[in-house]
Amino acid sequence: MTSLEANPSAAGVPPATFPLAPTRWTKWSDRLNPILVREVQQAVKGRVFTLTVWVALLITVVIAVATANSFDARGGAGRDAFNAGMATLMPLVLFVVPMQAYQSMRIELRGGIVEQLLLSRLLPMRILYGKLLAAMVQFTLYVSVLAPLLATSYLLRGVDLPTIVVSLVFALIGCITATAFAVSSAAQAVLPALQAIANLATAFGLGLASFLFVGAAVSGQYSAMVSYLVREPEFAMVMVAILLLAGTVVTLSLLVAQSFLLHAFENKSTGFRILLFTLPVLAFGWVLAFAGPSARDEFTAALTMVLLVTGIVFAVFMVTEQGELSPRMRAHVPTRAGLALLAAPFLPGRDRGLLCFLGYLVWLAGLAWFCWSGTTRRQWIAEMMGIAALTAVYAIGWLAFGRWLRGRLPAGLQGNHLGRFLLPMSFLLVLLLPVLVDLFLRGEVHNWHYGHVLNPFWTIEQVDRMNTWQEAWLPAAIVTGVLLLLHARVLVGAVREVVAAGAALAQRRRSAP
Amino acid sequence: MSGPLLEVRNLARSYPRVQAVRDLSFAMERGQITGFVGPNGAGKTTTMRIAATLDVPDSGDVFIEGQSVLVEPRACRNRIGYMSDQFHPYPNLDILEYLDFFARAHGLAGKRRLDTVRSVASFCGLLGFADRPATGLSKGMGQRLHLAKTLLHDPALLILDEPASGLDPRARIEFRALLKELAAAGKGILISSHILPELGEMCDSVVVIERGRRVVSGTIAEIQKSVQHEQAVAMRVLGDAAMAERFLLTWPGVGQLAVDGQRIRFPFAGDEPALGELLAQLVASGVRVVEFARTEANLEDIFLSTTKGNLQ
Ligand SMILES: Nc1ncnc2c1ncn2[C@@H]1O[C@H](COP(=O)(O)OP(=O)(O)OP(=O)(O)O)[C@@H](O)[C@H]1O
Ligand SMILES: [Mg+2]
Repeated sequence: MTSLEANPSAAGVPPATFPLAPTRWTKWSDRLNPILVREVQQAVKGRVFTLTVWVALLITVVIAVATANSFDARGGAGRDAFNAGMATLMPLVLFVVPMQAYQSMRIELRGGIVEQLLLSRLLPMRILYGKLLAAMVQFTLYVSVLAPLLATSYLLRGVDLPTIVVSLVFALIGCITATAFAVSSAAQAVLPALQAIANLATAFGLGLASFLFVGAAVSGQYSAMVSYLVREPEFAMVMVAILLLAGTVVTLSLLVAQSFLLHAFENKSTGFRILLFTLPVLAFGWVLAFAGPSARDEFTAALTMVLLVTGIVFAVFMVTEQGELSPRMRAHVPTRAGLALLAAPFLPGRDRGLLCFLGYLVWLAGLAWFCWSGTTRRQWIAEMMGIAALTAVYAIGWLAFGRWLRGRLPAGLQGNHLGRFLLPMSFLLVLLLPVLVDLFLRGEVHNWHYGHVLNPFWTIEQVDRMNTWQEAWLPAAIVTGVLLLLHARVLVGAVREVVAAGAALAQRRRSAP
Repeated sequence: MSGPLLEVRNLARSYPRVQAVRDLSFAMERGQITGFVGPNGAGKTTTMRIAATLDVPDSGDVFIEGQSVLVEPRACRNRIGYMSDQFHPYPNLDILEYLDFFARAHGLAGKRRLDTVRSVASFCGLLGFADRPATGLSKGMGQRLHLAKTLLHDPALLILDEPASGLDPRARIEFRALLKELAAAGKGILISSHILPELGEMCDSVVVIERGRRVVSGTIAEIQKSVQHEQAVAMRVLGDAAMAERFLLTWPGVGQLAVDGQRIRFPFAGDEPALGELLAQLVASGVRVVEFARTEANLEDIFLSTTKGNLQ
């Protein structure tokens, strides 16, 4: 009998540990994201998770006992309990949970496990969602550990219900955003050169964030701010702004992480480009929804500038991509010429990237104009728009240079990364060279001169200070015109490649049985 | 949807300092076991990774049942089971949970998933080990689990990169039996290994590459025939083999020597009288020959006679 037990398969019955029939858990969990299921299974067995839950429980008990001992009717104890509870929750959801996600992503990448995952039916985005879901499950668990404490603080009249709810919502938003950020920096560690930086930046960033929040929570500033905010009329405006910002950061982080996990020939660009085009819609939509007529133009002007700079950052990546469509992309372009034309700026490729940026400038200007009320005539708003226009001209010039530079570098991912490094470096060099020349020839750097004309910061500042906007328009327009003329063939070629690929695809589909 | 199960066409892939694969082409069918052989750094892993959609070539393409891995990587992934040369399990998961997770990842649900996991575990001899932690398994158990994971989605093509390395002799024999069973079930298997006698026993065909280039390919019988004009000779001497070695090196028609203790194997280009003359002179020179026989070239001979041993 013992020998049969030692070797269960010898008995002809499989051991009970490989289940024969689905249990209720199996059936229910079939609908969940597999990554979520696995992360939870791993967490339950892992030490870190168990330890943090116990520590959180312990702290809760300590705080509860301390609060009970210092009860006062005005609710001071309740507020203290709430603050202590938030101070416990913050490092858990802003540091422990994201770092767990970071760690799990790192383990997958290091061992090549992620390749096994990518060979399954799980798409990269689904894997990343799974990680976020797992973070949310952990968040829920930590909140429920702290729930008795929060309930006590409410019952002791330390804080009102809206404050508690909004605080928790903020904590959840922070948790998801921090986790998305952590996962994306873990994914970047695909490149060995970035590994050390990613490690350090993530641990430092998350550590700093939770440190600041703990400070704010312990001192009571956090709860004071939240309870002030929920009573203000601007509450909805701020809340929506925070949600939009967090949503943008999460989407961007997921797109970045996805781009490291996708097959090399898969489309990695369109997501970023669509996100970029969505940002002005959200931003100006927010202005139209919340800003009063007096503040509308101020918001519009400031946001236009911010969105322009954001667009330039995106464009640095767009113009340093590979040149042509990958075989996979060529086989998946729209076959109808009109559709191919419309889709072209959003498809991968550095020439289409330049086109996309130009399109974005038009889109941004159009939406800003749409949002513009014209009721305020403040000097700085007009100046801001002038600055934005000149910045756009400089951006076109520098990005065109970036595209050219990328073309001189070897094909492949390495070349893309090199381009993304060299473009800002050459920008810096052009900024510094005239300054150094000034320093050596004249012994001082004093006045702006034409040697600095490629330096947008100084030149724009100069135009603004001397109020020479009238003189600046013409050269700016000429430069833009020349740049566009020089790139006309490139831009047309960028669209033509897509249309031609679409036509070839349609041809092949027709000739195939 | 048509075409051979696996077709590698004019594949080339370079790394900054080496050309890992150059103009490589071969094909294989369902139910076939193809050995993929070559010296270290020959480009086997590189080729297999490209075929498994994990890397992209500089030029050329790989087709799985006529579908390009570059154009339809997702569709191809469903038909491929790729077992890499390294196995890294998840921490804090046991064997059952590990297999269950990958079954979920392959979209299996409900009873079907349980059945698949159980049958795959049973096939790979893991049934009694459901609750063993997946980390810290012995090498052989790890390989079994790795293979089990690779089989979960019932792929038509298995790409196995040195799956038998580190297995004990018994496990190796069992493993071989498993692969034969899979091939009999209609799967195509591309397997790389450095253990040539073993490959020779189970493979229908081989592809030998060196420095990224194909040097020979075809069924073992075909290749044997093509190198038959240089028949192999196996001999055993008493005492020091070095003397025999020195003698053979000077003899015309004797190919590359494989010396293993007292045993010496070498390809010999020449007819029977020439061989008789060689033996006579060998004995006359004082080498004490106790065994001397002509054999068919085995995979090791093919390997030695076709590759030059140039590493990169
Ligand atoms: N990521 C890489 N970066 C640079 N060179 C690489 C990389 N991967 C492989 N190589 C080089 O490509 C060549 C082929 O490597 P590959 O791993 O395909 O050989 P292999 O046939 O699998 O060798 P082995 O029998 O040792 O496993 C080697 O020279 C190797 O140094
Ligand atoms: Mg290898």
